[in-house]
Amino acid sequence: MSARQRIDQQPGFVLHSYPYRETSLIVEVFSRDHGRIGLVAKGARRPMSQLRGVLMAFQPLLIDWSGGGEMKTLVRAEWQGGQPLLGGQALLCAYYLNELLMRLLPREDPHPVLFRAYGDALRALAAGEGQEVILRRFELALLQELGYGLQLDSDADGAPVRPELRYAYIIERGAVPLDEYGIDDPSVVAGRVLLDMARGDFREPETLAGAKALMRRLIQHYLGGQVLQSRRVFTELFAFPGDPS
Amino acid sequence: MSTPSSLDVLIEALRCLPGVGPKSAQRMAFHLLQRDQRGAARLATALGHALEVLRHCSRCNTFCEDEVCARCASPQRDASQLCVVEMPSDLAMLEQTHSYHGLYYVLMGRLSPLDGIGPRELGLEKFLGRACDGAVQEVILATNFTNEGEATAHMISELLKSRGIKVSRIARGIPVGGELEHTDSGTIAQALVERRSL
Ligand SMILES: [Zn+2]
Repeated sequence: MSARQRIDQQPGFVLHSYPYRETSLIVEVFSRDHGRIGLVAKGARRPMSQLRGVLMAFQPLLIDWSGGGEMKTLVRAEWQGGQPLLGGQALLCAYYLNELLMRLLPREDPHPVLFRAYGDALRALAAGEGQEVILRRFELALLQELGYGLQLDSDADGAPVRPELRYAYIIERGAVPLDEYGIDDPSVVAGRVLLDMARGDFREPETLAGAKALMRRLIQHYLGGQVLQSRRVFTELFAFPGDPS
Repeated sequence: MSTPSSLDVLIEALRCLPGVGPKSAQRMAFHLLQRDQRGAARLATALGHALEVLRHCSRCNTFCEDEVCARCASPQRDASQLCVVEMPSDLAMLEQTHSYHGLYYVLMGRLSPLDGIGPRELGLEKFLGRACDGAVQEVILATNFTNEGEATAHMISELLKSRGIKVSRIARGIPVGGELEHTDSGTIAQALVERRSL
Protein backbone atom coordinates (compact mmCIF):
# COMPACT_ATOMS: atom_id res chain seq x y z
CA MET A 1 0.00 0.00 0.00
CA SER A 2 1.37 3.38 -0.93
CA ALA A 3 1.73 5.79 1.94
CA ARG A 4 -1.15 8.21 1.51
CA GLN A 5 0.57 11.15 3.04
CA ARG A 6 -1.26 14.19 4.24
CA ILE A 7 0.64 17.38 4.97
CA ASP A 8 -1.07 20.23 6.77
CA GLN A 9 -0.30 23.93 7.14
CA GLN A 10 3.03 23.74 5.40
CA PRO A 11 4.65 27.15 4.77
CA GLY A 12 5.37 27.55 1.08
CA PHE A 13 5.53 29.77 -2.00
CA VAL A 14 4.20 29.23 -5.49
CA LEU A 15 7.11 29.24 -7.94
CA HIS A 16 5.18 28.71 -11.14
CA SER A 17 1.91 27.29 -12.34
CA TYR A 18 0.51 26.10 -15.63
CA PRO A 19 -2.83 24.81 -16.93
CA TYR A 20 -3.63 21.15 -16.43
CA ARG A 21 -6.59 19.27 -17.88
CA GLU A 22 -9.86 21.14 -18.27
CA THR A 23 -10.04 23.36 -15.23
CA SER A 24 -7.01 22.55 -13.11
CA LEU A 25 -3.55 23.90 -12.52
CA ILE A 26 -0.23 22.28 -11.83
CA VAL A 27 1.45 24.38 -9.20
CA GLU A 28 5.15 24.19 -8.48
CA VAL A 29 5.59 25.00 -4.82
CA PHE A 30 8.69 25.62 -2.75
CA SER A 31 7.77 24.33 0.68
CA ARG A 32 9.78 24.70 3.86
CA ASP A 33 10.10 21.05 4.89
CA HIS A 34 9.56 19.19 1.62
CA GLY A 35 11.43 21.34 -0.85
CA ARG A 36 10.06 21.84 -4.35
CA ILE A 37 6.94 19.83 -5.02
CA GLY A 38 4.39 19.58 -7.79
CA LEU A 39 0.74 19.91 -6.78
CA VAL A 40 -2.42 19.49 -8.81
CA ALA A 41 -4.88 22.24 -7.89
CA LYS A 42 -8.19 20.77 -9.00
CA GLY A 43 -10.65 23.24 -10.44
CA ALA A 44 -8.35 26.18 -9.76
CA ARG A 45 -9.03 27.62 -13.21
CA ARG A 46 -12.78 27.77 -12.73
CA PRO A 47 -13.91 31.41 -12.74
CA MET A 48 -15.28 31.24 -9.21
CA SER A 49 -12.49 29.17 -7.69
CA GLN A 50 -11.39 30.40 -4.28
CA LEU A 51 -7.88 29.27 -5.15
CA ARG A 52 -7.47 31.64 -8.10
CA GLY A 53 -6.41 34.66 -6.11
CA VAL A 54 -4.59 32.70 -3.43
CA LEU A 55 -2.18 30.69 -5.57
CA MET A 56 -0.15 33.73 -6.46
CA ALA A 57 3.62 33.55 -6.71
CA PHE A 58 5.81 35.43 -4.21
CA GLN A 59 3.22 35.45 -1.41
CA PRO A 60 3.75 33.41 1.76
CA LEU A 61 1.11 30.66 1.92
CA LEU A 62 0.12 27.83 4.22
CA ILE A 63 -0.56 24.77 2.13
CA ASP A 64 -2.26 21.41 2.76
CA TRP A 65 -1.76 18.56 0.35
CA SER A 66 -2.17 14.81 0.14
CA GLY A 67 -0.71 11.95 -1.84
CA GLY A 68 2.65 10.28 -1.96
CA GLY A 69 3.37 10.10 -5.67
CA GLU A 70 5.27 12.52 -7.83
CA MET A 71 2.16 14.69 -8.24
CA LYS A 72 0.30 15.48 -5.07
CA THR A 73 -3.14 16.95 -4.68
CA LEU A 74 -3.54 20.41 -3.27
CA VAL A 75 -6.16 20.35 -0.54
CA ARG A 76 -6.07 23.90 0.72
CA ALA A 77 -4.00 27.05 0.38
CA GLU A 78 -4.22 29.94 2.75
CA TRP A 79 -2.81 33.38 2.29
CA GLN A 80 -0.46 34.16 5.17
CA GLY A 81 -0.17 37.88 4.60
CA GLY A 82 2.25 40.37 6.01
CA GLN A 83 3.98 41.08 2.72
CA PRO A 84 2.92 43.68 0.18
CA LEU A 85 2.51 42.55 -3.41
CA LEU A 86 5.55 43.03 -5.59
CA GLY A 87 5.61 45.50 -8.41
CA GLY A 88 8.04 47.17 -10.76
CA GLN A 89 11.61 46.02 -11.06
CA ALA A 90 11.35 44.10 -7.77
CA LEU A 91 8.76 41.86 -9.41
CA LEU A 92 11.10 41.08 -12.30
CA CYS A 93 13.87 40.23 -9.81
CA ALA A 94 11.49 37.86 -8.03
CA TYR A 95 10.77 36.06 -11.30
CA TYR A 96 14.50 35.54 -11.66
CA LEU A 97 14.66 33.94 -8.19
CA ASN A 98 11.79 31.62 -9.07
CA GLU A 99 13.38 30.59 -12.31
CA LEU A 100 16.63 29.75 -10.54
CA LEU A 101 14.72 27.53 -8.11
CA MET A 102 12.68 25.93 -10.88
CA ARG A 103 15.77 25.05 -12.88
CA LEU A 104 18.33 24.23 -10.21
CA LEU A 105 16.38 22.82 -7.27
CA PRO A 106 15.46 19.16 -7.71
CA ARG A 107 11.97 18.09 -6.62
CA GLU A 108 11.36 16.71 -3.12
CA ASP A 109 14.68 17.81 -1.73
CA PRO A 110 14.11 19.70 1.53
CA HIS A 111 16.14 22.90 1.96
CA PRO A 112 14.84 24.80 4.98
CA VAL A 113 17.88 27.09 5.03
CA LEU A 114 17.37 28.04 1.39
CA PHE A 115 13.66 28.43 2.08
CA ARG A 116 14.49 31.03 4.70
CA ALA A 117 16.93 32.79 2.35
CA TYR A 118 14.21 32.88 -0.34
CA GLY A 119 11.63 34.31 2.08
CA ASP A 120 14.15 36.92 3.24
CA ALA A 121 14.90 37.87 -0.36
CA LEU A 122 11.21 38.35 -1.20
CA ARG A 123 10.60 40.38 1.94
CA ALA A 124 13.60 42.57 1.14
CA LEU A 125 12.38 43.05 -2.44
CA ALA A 126 8.93 43.99 -1.17
CA ALA A 127 10.53 46.45 1.26
CA GLY A 128 12.34 48.14 -1.62
CA GLU A 129 15.90 47.26 -0.53
CA GLY A 130 18.83 47.23 -2.97
CA GLN A 131 17.99 44.62 -5.58
CA GLU A 132 21.50 43.73 -6.72
CA VAL A 133 22.57 42.88 -3.17
CA ILE A 134 19.43 40.81 -2.59
CA LEU A 135 20.05 38.81 -5.77
CA ARG A 136 23.73 38.17 -4.99
CA ARG A 137 22.95 37.04 -1.44
CA PHE A 138 20.29 34.65 -2.71
CA GLU A 139 22.50 33.26 -5.48
CA LEU A 140 25.25 32.58 -2.91
CA ALA A 141 22.79 30.86 -0.55
CA LEU A 142 21.40 28.80 -3.43
CA LEU A 143 24.76 27.49 -4.63
CA GLN A 144 25.87 26.89 -1.04
CA GLU A 145 22.71 24.92 -0.25
CA LEU A 146 22.81 22.88 -3.45
CA GLY A 147 26.24 21.68 -2.46
CA TYR A 148 28.23 23.73 -4.93
CA GLY A 149 29.73 25.51 -1.92
CA LEU A 150 32.05 28.27 -2.98
CA GLN A 151 35.38 28.58 -1.28
CA LEU A 152 35.78 32.33 -1.03
CA ASP A 153 38.17 33.02 1.83
CA SER A 154 40.84 30.48 0.96
CA ASP A 155 42.38 29.71 -2.39
CA ALA A 156 42.39 26.41 -4.28
CA ASP A 157 45.43 25.23 -2.27
CA GLY A 158 43.91 26.20 1.07
CA ALA A 159 45.97 29.35 1.64
CA PRO A 160 44.01 32.39 2.89
CA VAL A 161 42.83 34.71 0.12
CA ARG A 162 44.75 37.99 0.19
CA PRO A 163 42.83 41.17 -0.58
CA GLU A 164 45.59 42.74 -2.70
CA LEU A 165 46.00 39.72 -5.01
CA ARG A 166 44.07 38.85 -8.13
CA TYR A 167 42.66 35.39 -8.63
CA ALA A 168 41.26 33.28 -11.41
CA TYR A 169 38.15 31.59 -10.07
CA ILE A 170 38.13 28.11 -11.61
CA ILE A 171 34.76 26.41 -11.28
CA GLU A 172 34.88 23.37 -8.99
CA ARG A 173 38.47 24.11 -8.06
CA GLY A 174 38.38 27.55 -6.52
CA ALA A 175 40.47 30.69 -6.52
CA VAL A 176 43.91 30.38 -8.08
CA PRO A 177 46.25 33.31 -7.39
CA LEU A 178 47.54 35.07 -10.49
CA ASP A 179 50.85 36.81 -10.75
CA GLU A 180 50.88 40.55 -11.00
CA TYR A 181 50.39 40.67 -14.76
CA GLY A 182 47.60 38.13 -14.76
CA ILE A 183 45.61 37.84 -17.94
CA ASP A 184 42.50 39.93 -18.36
CA ASP A 185 39.97 37.14 -18.40
CA PRO A 186 36.33 37.06 -17.23
CA SER A 187 37.37 34.58 -14.56
CA VAL A 188 39.67 37.12 -12.90
CA VAL A 189 38.43 38.44 -9.59
CA ALA A 190 40.15 40.55 -6.93
CA GLY A 191 40.97 38.93 -3.59
CA ARG A 192 39.22 41.83 -1.89
CA VAL A 193 36.01 40.97 -3.72
CA LEU A 194 36.19 37.30 -2.70
CA LEU A 195 36.70 38.25 0.95
CA ASP A 196 33.80 40.73 0.87
CA MET A 197 31.58 38.05 -0.64
CA ALA A 198 32.65 35.55 2.02
CA ARG A 199 31.48 38.04 4.66
CA GLY A 200 28.33 38.90 2.73
CA ASP A 201 29.45 42.51 2.56
CA PHE A 202 28.38 44.09 -0.74
CA ARG A 203 28.86 47.76 0.11
CA GLU A 204 31.78 48.33 -2.28
CA PRO A 205 30.67 48.87 -5.90
CA GLU A 206 33.70 46.81 -7.00
CA THR A 207 32.47 43.90 -4.89
CA LEU A 208 28.97 44.13 -6.28
CA ALA A 209 30.24 44.18 -9.87
CA GLY A 210 32.77 41.39 -9.27
CA ALA A 211 30.23 39.24 -7.46
CA LYS A 212 27.71 39.71 -10.27
CA ALA A 213 30.20 38.54 -12.91
CA LEU A 214 31.35 35.57 -10.83
CA MET A 215 27.85 34.42 -9.84
CA ARG A 216 26.67 34.76 -13.41
CA ARG A 217 29.46 32.53 -14.65
CA LEU A 218 28.84 29.92 -11.92
CA ILE A 219 25.07 29.86 -12.43
CA GLN A 220 25.50 29.58 -16.18
CA HIS A 221 27.79 26.61 -15.56
CA TYR A 222 25.38 24.79 -13.24
CA LEU A 223 22.47 25.48 -15.58
CA GLY A 224 24.34 23.46 -18.15
CA GLY A 225 23.34 25.50 -21.17
CA GLN A 226 19.72 26.24 -20.19
CA VAL A 227 18.83 29.84 -20.98
CA LEU A 228 17.30 31.88 -18.16
CA GLN A 229 14.14 33.33 -19.69
CA SER A 230 13.66 35.92 -16.97
CA ARG A 231 17.16 37.30 -17.61
CA ARG A 232 16.51 37.39 -21.35
CA VAL A 233 13.29 39.34 -20.76
CA PHE A 234 15.19 41.77 -18.52
CA THR A 235 17.88 42.49 -21.06
CA GLU A 236 15.35 42.74 -23.87
CA LEU A 237 13.48 45.42 -22.00
CA PHE A 238 16.56 47.58 -21.63
CA ALA A 239 17.74 47.06 -25.17
CA PHE A 240 14.39 47.66 -26.80
CA PRO A 241 14.63 48.80 -30.40
CA GLY A 242 14.08 52.49 -30.85
CA ASP A 243 14.72 53.19 -27.18
CA PRO A 244 16.01 56.76 -27.14
CA SER A 245 18.06 56.19 -23.97
CA MET B 1 -0.71 2.05 -38.92
CA SER B 2 -4.21 2.95 -40.06
CA THR B 3 -5.19 6.49 -40.89
CA PRO B 4 -7.32 8.05 -38.13
CA SER B 5 -11.04 8.21 -38.92
CA SER B 6 -12.61 11.62 -39.57
CA LEU B 7 -14.27 11.27 -36.15
CA ASP B 8 -10.88 10.91 -34.47
CA VAL B 9 -9.57 13.90 -36.42
CA LEU B 10 -12.54 16.02 -35.26
CA ILE B 11 -12.11 14.99 -31.62
CA GLU B 12 -8.43 15.74 -31.77
CA ALA B 13 -9.12 19.12 -33.42
CA LEU B 14 -11.61 20.13 -30.70
CA ARG B 15 -8.91 19.63 -28.09
CA CYS B 16 -7.21 22.81 -29.25
CA LEU B 17 -9.87 24.73 -27.28
CA PRO B 18 -8.68 25.89 -23.87
CA GLY B 19 -9.83 23.62 -21.05
CA VAL B 20 -11.01 20.88 -23.40
CA GLY B 21 -9.58 17.46 -22.70
CA PRO B 22 -10.16 14.19 -24.56
CA LYS B 23 -13.46 13.48 -22.77
CA SER B 24 -15.06 16.86 -23.42
CA ALA B 25 -13.81 16.80 -26.99
CA GLN B 26 -15.52 13.46 -27.53
CA ARG B 27 -18.73 14.74 -25.96
CA MET B 28 -18.69 17.83 -28.20
CA ALA B 29 -18.02 15.80 -31.33
CA PHE B 30 -20.88 13.38 -30.61
CA HIS B 31 -23.20 16.26 -29.85
CA LEU B 32 -22.37 18.09 -33.06
CA LEU B 33 -22.63 15.02 -35.27
CA GLN B 34 -25.59 13.31 -33.64
CA ARG B 35 -27.78 15.97 -32.12
CA ASP B 36 -27.08 19.18 -33.98
CA GLN B 37 -25.83 18.76 -37.50
CA ARG B 38 -27.22 22.18 -38.54
CA GLY B 39 -25.33 23.80 -35.69
CA ALA B 40 -22.22 21.92 -36.69
CA ALA B 41 -22.46 23.16 -40.24
CA ARG B 42 -23.00 26.72 -39.03
CA LEU B 43 -19.99 26.42 -36.76
CA ALA B 44 -17.82 25.12 -39.59
CA THR B 45 -18.86 27.96 -41.92
CA ALA B 46 -18.52 30.65 -39.27
CA LEU B 47 -15.09 29.44 -38.25
CA GLY B 48 -13.88 29.26 -41.84
CA HIS B 49 -15.26 32.71 -42.61
CA ALA B 50 -13.80 34.30 -39.47
CA LEU B 51 -10.40 32.81 -40.24
CA GLU B 52 -10.57 34.27 -43.70
CA VAL B 53 -11.70 37.82 -42.97
CA LEU B 54 -10.57 38.62 -39.43
CA ARG B 55 -7.32 40.36 -38.74
CA HIS B 56 -5.87 42.66 -36.13
CA CYS B 57 -6.78 46.33 -36.19
CA SER B 58 -3.66 48.25 -37.12
CA ARG B 59 -4.39 50.76 -34.34
CA CYS B 60 -5.71 48.80 -31.34
CA ASN B 61 -4.65 45.25 -32.27
CA THR B 62 -8.06 43.73 -31.52
CA PHE B 63 -9.86 41.56 -34.06
CA CYS B 64 -11.58 43.38 -36.89
CA GLU B 65 -12.36 42.98 -40.55
CA ASP B 66 -10.88 46.21 -41.83
CA GLU B 67 -7.52 47.85 -41.59
CA VAL B 68 -8.84 50.00 -38.74
CA CYS B 69 -11.77 49.01 -36.50
CA ALA B 70 -14.89 51.16 -36.06
CA ARG B 71 -13.93 52.21 -32.53
CA CYS B 72 -10.49 53.43 -33.56
CA ALA B 73 -11.97 55.27 -36.56
CA SER B 74 -14.70 56.97 -34.52
CA PRO B 75 -14.33 60.76 -34.10
CA GLN B 76 -16.38 60.48 -30.88
CA ARG B 77 -13.51 58.85 -29.01
CA ASP B 78 -10.84 60.85 -27.22
CA ALA B 79 -7.59 60.14 -29.07
CA SER B 80 -5.44 61.56 -26.28
CA GLN B 81 -6.13 58.58 -23.98
CA LEU B 82 -5.00 55.05 -24.72
CA CYS B 83 -6.07 52.25 -22.40
CA VAL B 84 -3.99 49.04 -22.49
CA VAL B 85 -5.73 45.73 -21.76
CA GLU B 86 -4.64 42.11 -22.03
CA MET B 87 -7.57 40.59 -23.93
CA PRO B 88 -10.61 41.66 -26.00
CA SER B 89 -12.81 40.42 -23.12
CA ASP B 90 -11.18 43.04 -20.87
CA LEU B 91 -11.95 45.72 -23.44
CA ALA B 92 -15.58 44.60 -23.45
CA MET B 93 -15.74 44.92 -19.64
CA LEU B 94 -14.34 48.44 -19.75
CA GLU B 95 -16.79 49.44 -22.48
CA GLN B 96 -19.67 48.17 -20.33
CA THR B 97 -18.83 50.78 -17.72
CA HIS B 98 -19.72 53.61 -20.15
CA SER B 99 -17.14 55.65 -18.25
CA TYR B 100 -14.25 55.64 -20.65
CA HIS B 101 -14.22 57.51 -23.93
CA GLY B 102 -10.63 57.14 -25.03
CA LEU B 103 -9.12 54.49 -27.26
CA TYR B 104 -7.68 51.07 -26.52
CA TYR B 105 -4.76 48.84 -27.23
CA VAL B 106 -5.27 45.08 -26.81
CA LEU B 107 -2.05 43.19 -26.11
CA MET B 108 -3.58 39.77 -26.82
CA GLY B 109 -1.63 38.35 -23.91
CA ARG B 110 0.62 39.23 -21.04
CA LEU B 111 4.22 39.01 -20.08
CA SER B 112 5.27 35.70 -18.57
CA PRO B 113 9.01 35.63 -17.95
CA LEU B 114 9.14 31.98 -16.85
CA ASP B 115 7.32 30.87 -19.99
CA GLY B 116 9.65 32.91 -22.17
CA ILE B 117 7.02 35.50 -23.11
CA GLY B 118 8.85 38.82 -23.10
CA PRO B 119 8.41 42.22 -24.75
CA ARG B 120 9.23 40.81 -28.17
CA GLU B 121 6.83 37.85 -27.98
CA LEU B 122 4.13 40.25 -26.82
CA GLY B 123 4.71 42.52 -29.83
CA LEU B 124 5.41 45.61 -27.75
CA GLU B 125 7.08 47.21 -30.76
CA LYS B 126 3.71 47.57 -32.46
CA PHE B 127 2.27 48.99 -29.25
CA LEU B 128 5.08 51.55 -28.93
CA GLY B 129 4.47 52.71 -32.47
CA ARG B 130 0.81 53.20 -31.62
CA ALA B 131 1.43 54.97 -28.30
CA CYS B 132 3.93 57.35 -29.87
CA ASP B 133 1.70 58.51 -32.71
CA GLY B 134 1.72 62.07 -31.37
CA ALA B 135 -1.95 62.22 -30.38
CA VAL B 136 -1.72 60.03 -27.26
CA GLN B 137 -1.05 62.02 -24.11
CA GLU B 138 -1.89 59.45 -21.47
CA VAL B 139 -1.55 55.68 -21.46
CA ILE B 140 -3.82 53.98 -18.92
CA LEU B 141 -2.61 50.52 -17.91
CA ALA B 142 -5.55 48.21 -17.27
CA THR B 143 -3.72 44.88 -17.30
CA ASN B 144 -4.80 42.35 -14.69
CA PHE B 145 -3.74 42.54 -11.06
CA THR B 146 -1.85 39.28 -11.28
CA ASN B 147 1.92 39.09 -11.14
CA GLU B 148 2.00 38.74 -14.92
CA GLY B 149 -0.33 41.71 -15.39
CA GLU B 150 1.78 43.80 -13.01
CA ALA B 151 4.99 42.82 -14.78
CA THR B 152 3.40 43.75 -18.10
CA ALA B 153 2.29 47.14 -16.73
CA HIS B 154 5.77 47.75 -15.36
CA MET B 155 7.50 46.95 -18.65
CA ILE B 156 5.19 49.22 -20.61
CA SER B 157 5.63 52.08 -18.17
CA GLU B 158 9.42 51.68 -18.39
CA LEU B 159 9.27 51.82 -22.17
CA LEU B 160 7.04 54.91 -22.18
CA LYS B 161 8.80 56.83 -19.44
CA SER B 162 11.68 57.77 -21.68
CA ARG B 163 9.26 58.90 -24.39
CA GLY B 164 7.52 61.61 -22.42
CA ILE B 165 4.07 60.05 -22.30
CA LYS B 166 2.06 60.18 -19.08
CA VAL B 167 1.40 56.67 -17.74
CA SER B 168 -1.27 55.76 -15.20
CA ARG B 169 -2.47 52.47 -13.67
CA ILE B 170 -6.10 51.69 -12.82
CA ALA B 171 -6.66 51.53 -9.06
CA ARG B 172 -7.34 48.40 -7.04
CA GLY B 173 -8.98 47.87 -3.68
CA ILE B 174 -12.23 46.99 -1.97
CA PRO B 175 -15.00 46.43 -4.54
CA VAL B 176 -17.72 49.06 -4.86
CA GLY B 177 -20.47 48.21 -2.39
CA GLY B 178 -18.10 45.72 -0.78
CA GLU B 179 -17.95 45.10 2.93
CA LEU B 180 -14.63 44.49 4.64
CA GLU B 181 -16.13 41.51 6.43
CA HIS B 182 -16.63 39.71 3.14
CA THR B 183 -13.45 40.79 1.36
CA ASP B 184 -10.43 38.50 1.12
CA SER B 185 -7.48 39.48 3.30
CA GLY B 186 -5.12 39.90 0.34
CA THR B 187 -7.31 42.63 -1.12
CA ILE B 188 -7.71 44.35 2.23
CA ALA B 189 -3.95 44.21 2.89
CA GLN B 190 -3.18 45.76 -0.48
CA ALA B 191 -5.89 48.39 -0.03
CA LEU B 192 -4.14 49.40 3.18
CA VAL B 193 -0.77 49.59 1.44
CA GLU B 194 -2.24 51.70 -1.35
CA ARG B 195 -4.44 53.91 0.86
CA ARG B 196 -4.68 57.55 -0.09
CA SER B 197 -4.83 60.65 2.06
CA LEU B 198 -8.00 62.68 2.12
ZN1 LIG C 1 -9.00 49.37 -33.42
